[in-house]
Amino acid sequence: MRYTLLLLATLLVAGCSDPSWEAKDISGLMKPLEFNLVDENGQEVEGSDFRGKVTVVFFGFTHCPDICPTTLARFSRIVDAIEPEQRDDLRVLFVSVDPARDDPQTLREYTDAFGPEFVGLTGDREALDELTRRYRVTYGYGDKNEAGDYDVSHSSALFAFRRDGGAQLLIRDSDPTEAVIADIRRLLAAG
Amino acid sequence: MLQSDRGLILALVLALFSTAAFAADLAVEDARLRLLPGDLPGAGYFRISNEGSESRVLTGVETAAFERVMMHESLEEDGMMRMRHMMKVELEPGAQVEFAPRGYHLMFMKRTRDLSVGDKVEATLKFADGQRLPVVFQVVSPTAR
Repeated sequence: MRYTLLLLATLLVAGCSDPSWEAKDISGLMKPLEFNLVDENGQEVEGSDFRGKVTVVFFGFTHCPDICPTTLARFSRIVDAIEPEQRDDLRVLFVSVDPARDDPQTLREYTDAFGPEFVGLTGDREALDELTRRYRVTYGYGDKNEAGDYDVSHSSALFAFRRDGGAQLLIRDSDPTEAVIADIRRLLAAG
Repeated sequence: MLQSDRGLILALVLALFSTAAFAADLAVEDARLRLLPGDLPGAGYFRISNEGSESRVLTGVETAAFERVMMHESLEEDGMMRMRHMMKVELEPGAQVEFAPRGYHLMFMKRTRDLSVGDKVEATLKFADGQRLPVVFQVVSPTAR
């Protein structure tokens, strides 16, 4: 009897929060994927346009020489680790918070360098603020130097969404690449 | 051995190490420039060792291939990424400093000519004591580490 109770208790606890995600499980803590942005072809897109695919969302800007390409290069390797027939079900959305410099053509050239699964998006300040507020991240612009260049500070977080659009994971630089690959495979395996 | 022979041998030895540079106790290895599409700024990474007994101060980098090169440090504060412009990098005796992804990096801005993966970019590291160290950066792809 005691063992039966113990088993039931374990199952109940296991059902509350799934311990087998490697990255931080944010299901139930963040809202489903929703936005109104413009893609790298100049087309308006919404979050719901990506239902049915596993989506990873990352914020940055193309004039970022170190962090953004490093993160995208890492994800390029993650995509390469996914079975080829599954790759079309995965999208890495690079949301530029620097619309002043990142027009659709710039975004298209940029994401093409990392792979067909990578999609560049941006929007006006209002649309970007709505999206960044929704996922509780921020961004900011540094002072311009004499050449007109400026830094853009942005969140380092990546958000992974299920095929149904629900938020599942917060992925950080500190999460090992193999762990992220395992999580992405698991998201893809879910119907 | 004649001075000119020694110079020739040294030049030949140096030529063998196309991404390494040596001069007066400073050694630079694994210099690479990660190219991005169009005219976007690229990152420069390398490893520099001060094998001498005196402190050295790196104050900048220049190259004919880009209008401007800046030294930056990527920082994370409260979950936000940003860059800090560095005016100098101190190299203590015996120290090895890495310019590597997510840390110190060079920012190569506004190229003056077309560049492709596989090219070599000649640059010069400048030091506070006036020394100039030529370094060849291997141009690598956006997905390079």
